[in-house]
Amino acid sequence: MTLQVAPPDVTTPQDEAVVDRQSGWVLVAEQETRDLWTSGRGLILLFLFSILLSGVTYLTSTNQALNFLEQRESVNLVLQLAVAVGVLVTLVVSADGISGERERGTLESLLVTPVSRRSIIAGKLIAALTMWFATFGITIPYVWVLARDVGILGQALALGFLVGTLVAIGLGSVGLLISGLCNSNKTSIVASIFLLLILFAPTQLPSGLPQGGFFDVLLRANPVASALAYISSVLVEGQSWTEDLVLLITPLLTAIIAGGALVLAGERLVKLTPGVNAG
Amino acid sequence: MTSMTVEAVRLTKHYGDRSAVEDVSFTASRGEIFGLLGPNGAGKTTTIRLLTTVLSPTSGEFSIAGHPSTASAEIRRSVGVLPESSGYPAHQTGGEYLRFFARLYGLSRGVARTVAAELLAAVGLDDRAESLISSYSRGMRQRLGIARSLVNDPVVVFLDEPTLGLDPAGQAQVLEIIRGIAKNRDATVVLSTHLLPEVEQVCSKVVILNHGRVIVSGSVGEVISTALIKQSAQLRVPLDLVERARNVLAGFPDLTVDQLMEQPDVLTLAMDRPRAGAGSGSSDLMNAALAAITAAGIPVLRYELEGARLSDAFLKVTSEAVA
Repeated sequence: MTLQVAPPDVTTPQDEAVVDRQSGWVLVAEQETRDLWTSGRGLILLFLFSILLSGVTYLTSTNQALNFLEQRESVNLVLQLAVAVGVLVTLVVSADGISGERERGTLESLLVTPVSRRSIIAGKLIAALTMWFATFGITIPYVWVLARDVGILGQALALGFLVGTLVAIGLGSVGLLISGLCNSNKTSIVASIFLLLILFAPTQLPSGLPQGGFFDVLLRANPVASALAYISSVLVEGQSWTEDLVLLITPLLTAIIAGGALVLAGERLVKLTPGVNAG
Repeated sequence: MTSMTVEAVRLTKHYGDRSAVEDVSFTASRGEIFGLLGPNGAGKTTTIRLLTTVLSPTSGEFSIAGHPSTASAEIRRSVGVLPESSGYPAHQTGGEYLRFFARLYGLSRGVARTVAAELLAAVGLDDRAESLISSYSRGMRQRLGIARSLVNDPVVVFLDEPTLGLDPAGQAQVLEIIRGIAKNRDATVVLSTHLLPEVEQVCSKVVILNHGRVIVSGSVGEVISTALIKQSAQLRVPLDLVERARNVLAGFPDLTVDQLMEQPDVLTLAMDRPRAGAGSGSSDLMNAALAAITAAGIPVLRYELEGARLSDAFLKVTSEAVA
């Protein structure tokens, strides 16, 4: 075996003719997405989700004893489930983004490349969002089965996609922020799931409970609960898209604030030690 | 371009009250293998991370390939790095891994493929290019890491403990690759390692760090002489010629000659005082004494030089620093 390492017989990166102008974030996103799906992590999560969705759809559409929901409510339930699970897996994947690379010892190799740290963050966020897109893709046939007879198929799909994407961007960004700040990957993932559980709690309160101003504030301040309430108001209560638009303020603000924090702190967040202090 | 590729001037890194690196200064040139030595926690990895812009210095300056420390993007384009205990994505093949990094440095898909294939062949992994990295041995992963550090044809290559955990054959392979990088690519190799005998063989210059400070620097000979290591040797001759050998060695006044009680045919030769600043002068004296013995027709049955290795200097200067 010859182990002499001569310079490669190709044009160097400095040569304009061969330099690919593709941005670093695209390359990172491509690679992260490929890793996510070829490693089996994404497929396992998606498989579990499709089993859950099949069960819920089957019960709401066929079982006479349990089929107490109106058709629109069935569509709403499936979409809410898709958003909830899609956001959960996006958050978990993004929570692994920086702290996971630190623990696996792969971050430093990435940090010494010319790709900016903001590009690394953007690539990781996009890769995490593919979990939401795949979750939504799985949901489409189920929504089609339930919504085709009530004429809300297009509306339900558009609504679920737009609202879900907004929440996934916001919480995916939050997941990356947590990942950058946490000492260990386990802490990052547990903290993210705990946050999501807190956000989901109001959506699980029994409808019979007295609801007043405090509950309303709680609902509107919670990006997940308010997004699900918005879907519900359009699909079940038949409101127009613009009528309860105020419910989307919190999901939108979450996406803007968390995304903005990632952009602003990105250069100090993606480093070998957790936190945003100078590295 | 000037031949000096690495210049660190009073580089300092503090974490709160704790000092990781303090006033570290050194230079390295093209085609040179530069040894960055020191006990665990001496500041070697921090120094490499500062020079590769992974960390920001608290104070001090440095330049890499003529780029000042403020030009981090240019520096990253000019360096290749094998971090200490580098991790690898288990679900990628060696080829995919190198192609990805080549593309991060701006190479087109086609050129990245060519570069990856050439580098894998150069480090002896061409037959495993499409195998998952999870199936690689530790030595193969280290060679893959070195190949990755070369995808951008760097001016300076930083290798942090590249032989850690490798068997002797793996260590030899990696050291052979390192020689090849300096010789065939005319790149500067900054090598952090604990393998002092190998450093002695491959490094033209070394710096020894302890507690974040430079204890000694220079060529291997200069470091040994700066440490004022007392050199000695053992010489075995036929028992009936011992007295004659002692008479010959009496012509070297700087040498003290003794006879071992348990082995009367073995003479110990020791320099009365180390020759500061004489580089390898002490070994020259020993060699001259040996030459005189053989010139006198006395057969040399065994000759072992002791006490003037880099490892001795390393232990001496680092223990003195602790004391």
